[in-house]
Parts: sequence; C-alpha cells; structure tokens
Amino acid sequence: MESGQHMLRTGRRGTLFEFSMALRDLVTSYHRRGLAWSLAWHDVVSRYRGSILGPFWITISMGLMVLGIGLLYAKLFGISVAEFMPYVAMGIVFFGLMAGTINEGCDTFVQASSMLSQTSLPMFTFIWRTVLRNLINLAHHAVIIVAVIIFFGLWRVMDVFPALGGLLLTIVNLAWISMLAAIASARFRDIPQFVMSVMQFAIFMTPVFWKPDAFPDRHAFLTLNPFYHMLTTIRAPLLGQEADGLSYVILAIMAVLGWALTFSVFAITRRRIVHFL
Amino acid sequence: MTDVSIKVTDLTLRFPVYGVDAKSLKKNLARVTVGGRLGASTTGATEVTALSHLNLNLRAGDRLGLIGHNGSGKTTLLRALSGAYEPDEGQIEVRGRIAALLDLSLGIDPSATGVDNIRLRGRIAGMSSKEIEDKMDEIAEFSGLGPFLAMPMKTYSAGMQARLAFAVATAVEADVLLMDEWISVGDADFQKLAHRRLLNLVERAGILVLSSHDAGLLRLYCNKVMRLEGGVASEVKDIRRLDELLAAA
Ligand SMILES: Nc1ncnc2c1ncn2[C@@H]1O[C@H](COP(=O)(O)OP(=O)(O)OP(=O)(O)O)[C@@H](O)[C@H]1O
Ligand SMILES: [Mg+2]
Repeated sequence: MESGQHMLRTGRRGTLFEFSMALRDLVTSYHRRGLAWSLAWHDVVSRYRGSILGPFWITISMGLMVLGIGLLYAKLFGISVAEFMPYVAMGIVFFGLMAGTINEGCDTFVQASSMLSQTSLPMFTFIWRTVLRNLINLAHHAVIIVAVIIFFGLWRVMDVFPALGGLLLTIVNLAWISMLAAIASARFRDIPQFVMSVMQFAIFMTPVFWKPDAFPDRHAFLTLNPFYHMLTTIRAPLLGQEADGLSYVILAIMAVLGWALTFSVFAITRRRIVHFL
Repeated sequence: MTDVSIKVTDLTLRFPVYGVDAKSLKKNLARVTVGGRLGASTTGATEVTALSHLNLNLRAGDRLGLIGHNGSGKTTLLRALSGAYEPDEGQIEVRGRIAALLDLSLGIDPSATGVDNIRLRGRIAGMSSKEIEDKMDEIAEFSGLGPFLAMPMKTYSAGMQARLAFAVATAVEADVLLMDEWISVGDADFQKLAHRRLLNLVERAGILVLSSHDAGLLRLYCNKVMRLEGGVASEVKDIRRLDELLAAA
C-alpha cells in the first residue's frame, strides 16, 4: 500500500482487514525506520539547542542524586557505600528510562497531530520516535553506569549478557506501554496526569532507592510490580548477582500479552486516532 | 512514472466530534454508570460530514483547482488525498509520489535553523539523508533565503517560511502536488519562481491539486476546476468555465 508510489485508503471494514492494515502500518514504519531515528535525534538536539552540555545536564543531575542518595541512604540503612552506590546509580538511570518512555508516550500522538493529519506516515513511526529518543537519553546517562562499574570494580563480577537480555525485554515492554499510553492520551486528556501519578508512585514502590531484603523472595509486593522485574533483570547481573529466572519469564509473558492487547487496541482505533487529536 | 493518477470513488468522510468535555475520562466513566439512555447518544456521537459521496478521477497533466466556501471541504479533500484520513466510505487511490503543501508549519521546528528544517521536512517528505544533502544547494538556492538559512526559523516572515516549505516540497521528485491556499503568501519574484516549478512538474506529467479562493491564481495554474459545496462536489469542469461555477454560488 505504501510504496511511496501507491497510496490506497479504503472505507472497507472488518476485523481481519483492520488488523492487516495495522500490520501494514507496522511494516511501513520498519521500512522507514530512518525517519523515526531522524525525528528522535532531532528531538534530542532541539531540546538542548544552545546548551553546551545538552542532555548531559540530566546526566549531571542524576549523578548528583546518585551521589547524595548513595552516601546518605548507605549511612541510614547501614550498608556500605561500595554496595549501595552502584545499586542506586543503576536504579535511578534505568528507572529514568522507564518513566521517560511511558510518560512521554502520552505525548506521542498529540505532539505529532499536525504530521498525522496531512501525511500518510505510519503511526508506529511516532512510537519508535519516543522509544528511540529515550534510548538516546539513556546512552548519555550510561556514563553514570560506566563510572560506578569502573570505580567500584564491578567489571570483575558483572555478567553483561543477562543484563542486555533484561534491557531488551524491558524495552519491548516499555514500547507497548508507551503506545497504549499514546492512544489512550489522544482520546482522553486525563490519561497523561494519571500516568504521571502512577509513575511517581511506582518510583517509591519499586526498589530503586531501597533494597528489597526486608521481603522474602518472590513476595507478592515485588512479583506484582512489573517495574521490579524490569529493573532487577538489568541491575542484578550488572552487580554480579543473579536475577530470578522468574522475572525474565514474567517479562516475556508480559511482552507477548501486552503487545497482543496494544496491537488489538491499535487495530481497532487506528482510523480514529487522527480524529481524536 | 507513466501512470500517475488519482482515483477517488464514492468518498465519504466524517469527523467525529469529541466534545472538549467528553475528552475528560471522568465524564465518560460517569456515562457508563448512568447506562442506557446516555449510552445511546455515545454511539450516535456528533459527526461533521466533511465530504460526501465524492468522485474524482485525475490523470497525468491534470491541474485541478478546488473552489468553494469556507468549510466546504477543500482542505479535507486535500488531506484525504495525502493519505492522512481513512475514508468512512469509498476509496482513495493515488499513484505516484505525493508532496503535500497543506500546512506551512508541518515538521517545522521554529528554533531550528532553516537548513535543519530543510533536513527535517525532507525526511518527512520521504527523502533519504543523502538525497537531501545532494539537493541541499539546489533547495537553498531556490528558496532564495541565502544567509537566513543559518538562522532559526522563528526569525522568518510568513513569506520566507512559505519559500522554504515550497522549496523543500517541490524538491522531492513528486508526481502529485497538493497545495492549500497559501501560495499567495510569496512575493512577485517568488510567485514567478513557483510558477516555473509548477509548470515543470506538470511537464513531468504530474498532477496538481490546488485549493484557492483566488480566481486569478486558479486560472494561472489550473486547467480544470471543481466546486465543493457542503462536502458535495460538482463535476470537474474546464478552467474556462470557472465563471460558470463561481456564478452557481
Ligand atoms: N479536524 C476536524 N474536526 C472536525 N471537523 C472538521 C475538522 N476539519 C474540518 N472539519 C469540518 O469539515 C468541514 C470542511 O472543512 P475544510 O477545512 O475542509 O474546509 P475548507 O473548504 O478548506 O474551508 P476554508 O476555505 O475555510 O479553508 C467543515 O465543516 C469543518 O468544520
Ligand atoms: Mg481550507
């Protein structure tokens, strides 16, 4: 449909047809992935235009938070700084990725409304734009991770591959959550506020700043928190510990179910999203 | 590209209107609890029918002018032709590469420089980074903006923005050019340049669809004309019968 040379839009309906059109959108966005990348890159560049440090300002503020909280809480909790600082550093940086991708997901379509209403660009392009933008930000904040890994000698004990696996699963999950937020926020303007509240709540309910030692293994409080699984599968291997295999399983199941749900919602609402805006 | 064409059959396009209040989730949830009575009004939500049962066939070399009162559906038709809307009924089929010049601010970042905006707009229009770099000089020259290209777009006048947008949009080897109204923003020099580019496009066997309230402009660029009234289209007529269509008002 979208060879750039042939554009077809029909009033045909039917569940199967809607799904195939949604799939087309996805495939086209893949063929035009360079565009999503350009847009994401442009977002980062333009947000920090004229600033010398650019996204590193956020990195610096995160770094300060890591230092402050790392030193203070280590004292309060009676844990050694060498153990707590890297823990908090990774917690803050990776939770930043989660909160950023989901919160900014709310603006994805709203922000793209003028483009959506006068081009045939695939909608998925804008989802990737949000996800990629947050990955670009993560790449800047990774400086903090590298610093603690070197400073505290974690490179001797860390296990990179399970952490990358965790990161990948996390991104796949964040992408659907972000997309669901994008669709819902286009239609209901209360969603962004709601999402922001949830994420604010989540940062305290998730072991970002605290250690879950007080809970027995697999306590429901942790098991039912998706952000816990995302965080632990990335962080534990980097700290030289082993993440519970169950967390990987839960993330994988969540990814499949979440995408099935999101894709269905997209297939059903796709025609109308542009009118929501 | 030999078989450039636009084929619209029985196109009906409605805008569901989601009232500002209805956008509040609270209200919608309330509606669910109230149930039946109000639920019925949810299904029969307010809708604006912007285009109804519209048929249109254009072939290579056609330059169609769209006329009609405010709100008659001209912009909506152009947007639909650009692929932005899914029809409620009927079908839109466009063969050929589409360049839409509907909104000057599309993909424009006011705080980015002219050059950056050329890149951004070019990417959105479907050019690769390499294509854009290859054409950068040509686009820059055509825009006639010279040193202003290194300045942020927010320092541009409306006409300067129009120049940049037009330069980028027509730099794409487009077969189908959709334009809404704004071309009159440019000054006489620019109009002349634009005119040459448009003729060039038509020589390449392209299609132009232009909406305007300016009869002179339509006579200049178009060889066919169609009148929209409340979303209903007239027949496509030869531009020489423009007065007839205007008189039919
Ligand atoms: N996004 C929208 N939501 C709801 N209704 C819309 C929307 N866009 C257009 N309409 C309605 O569709 C109809 C056609 O609008 P359109 O913008 O196509 O008119 P137009 O012919 O371009 O008018 P003008 O000469 O003022 O530019 C109008 O009744 C308008 O209210
Ligand atoms: Mg208009």
